[in-house]
Amino acid sequence: MSAASSNRPIEFRNASLGTTVAVLRETHPPLLADALHKMLGGMPDFFSGEPAILDFAEISLDCGRVDWAGLLSLLRRFQLQPVGVRNLPGELAAEARRAGLALLDGVPLGERSTPPATPAAAAPTAPKPAPATPAPALAAIQAGTMFVDRPVRSGQQIYARGGDLVLLAGMSNGAEVIADGSIHCYGPLRGRALAGAQGNASARIVATNFGPEIVSIAGVYKTFEQGVPASIAGKPATVRMRGAGNEQKLDIEPLQLD
Amino acid sequence: MTRVVVVTSGKGGVGKTTTSAAFASGLALRGFKTAVIDFDVGLRNLDLIMGCERRVVYDFVNVINGEAKLNQALIKDKHCENLFVLPASQTRDKDALTEEGVETVIRELEHMGFDYIVCDSPAGIERGAVMALTFADEAIVTTNPEVSSVRDSDRILGILQSKSKRAAEGREPVKEHLLVTRYSPKRVEEGEMLSYKDVQELLRVPLLGVIPESESVLHASNQGTPAIHLKGTDVAEAYTDVVARFLGEERALRFVAYEKPGLFKRLFGGN
Repeated sequence: MSAASSNRPIEFRNASLGTTVAVLRETHPPLLADALHKMLGGMPDFFSGEPAILDFAEISLDCGRVDWAGLLSLLRRFQLQPVGVRNLPGELAAEARRAGLALLDGVPLGERSTPPATPAAAAPTAPKPAPATPAPALAAIQAGTMFVDRPVRSGQQIYARGGDLVLLAGMSNGAEVIADGSIHCYGPLRGRALAGAQGNASARIVATNFGPEIVSIAGVYKTFEQGVPASIAGKPATVRMRGAGNEQKLDIEPLQLD
Repeated sequence: MTRVVVVTSGKGGVGKTTTSAAFASGLALRGFKTAVIDFDVGLRNLDLIMGCERRVVYDFVNVINGEAKLNQALIKDKHCENLFVLPASQTRDKDALTEEGVETVIRELEHMGFDYIVCDSPAGIERGAVMALTFADEAIVTTNPEVSSVRDSDRILGILQSKSKRAAEGREPVKEHLLVTRYSPKRVEEGEMLSYKDVQELLRVPLLGVIPESESVLHASNQGTPAIHLKGTDVAEAYTDVVARFLGEERALRFVAYEKPGLFKRLFGGN
């Protein structure tokens, strides 16, 4: 079977790729540049070429104009790759298309795969032909929690879509783990750990040996340029979000294990 | 059953080729029929370390391209009866290595009854390094006790997990071994170097051995004699231990503690 299919010049496969949704509340490039600079601090390569969907749901475009060229080049400068827009007022659709952006309307890719709330809602999608080999990764996602048994190494990236991520052998510097839910790490937590990636502010990061390069919950970041404070470095700790609105910040607290 | 062992590191200059030569020789000394392949196409070094550079007629790329037979290219080692070297080509680049070509050579070596195939990986994480680890059953990750080497080793461990055939086919993962090389207990004592325990703690891979930093490695390279043959040196002893541990024997770690030179040594010097 695989021999036959590898002869086809084009093949279609189902994929749900990780993208970032950038919810814009402002389109004026200088204002956005300031905000991005403040958020990312000394890490202009933070996004490292990640594809992004621009969401216009929370913006009122009174003037009815968007500086597409300026906006896109700014985002690219921060290493984001804008690929599409959603929730864009109809009259701007043609402009967005001219700027090379896809119109992704309705439910975005990333949220389609969230488990349906009721079994009844799942029924319409059920009569699909059963895939020959169910992907193990998919099973883990449907279970809501993704388990990683081996160490996550430098240069590797893991994304637990729609749920929690459990690292059973820790992670190294230079690795990146992302979860829509919380991140639980048994062993050293050393790279970048981003929890609540779709905006869940009650997500947490829990580690038995705390020493990350950067942590984030729901888009609020904390870097450790001066190193992790000695009181928690290498010790059990948890990270959670405190406060609301502009007062949001990440709190790191030691965790008593025995 | 042939076992394919890759000696890899990510970073250059940490001792991969020295280790490949010594380790392959050590296996052969224990009676195993062993082949050692230089994957560093374009920068061949293994033949120099093995002292067979004048006998290279055909190389790995010639075999892959069908320009020579495997047994024409294999060079019999001058020290060990059951050791054979497959040298790299100096006039090609690493794109000459194809997965099919490498696989054909490895299958043929299996067919010839080799017990171990040692793959000497080039530095970096590009094609040559990936080809060297693709067919590995076990990996010796060679690391110097300093942070950049540790980071690169970590990266190569990730690549082993994702790009090896064992990973791609969902078989039992490549068995990983950590080898700390160029270790200087004195500099560790003085806080200038990571200890082997630090390295192991960072990489979380079982420790296969610690090879001390030594002048004799340089002498061995210049003579074209794998370091394991330098009788009486700590490096040869350490590599002998490494081979024994690899074969499942228990050996206590040696050459990791710093002993302050005594009065006699300080007065009269000497090593």
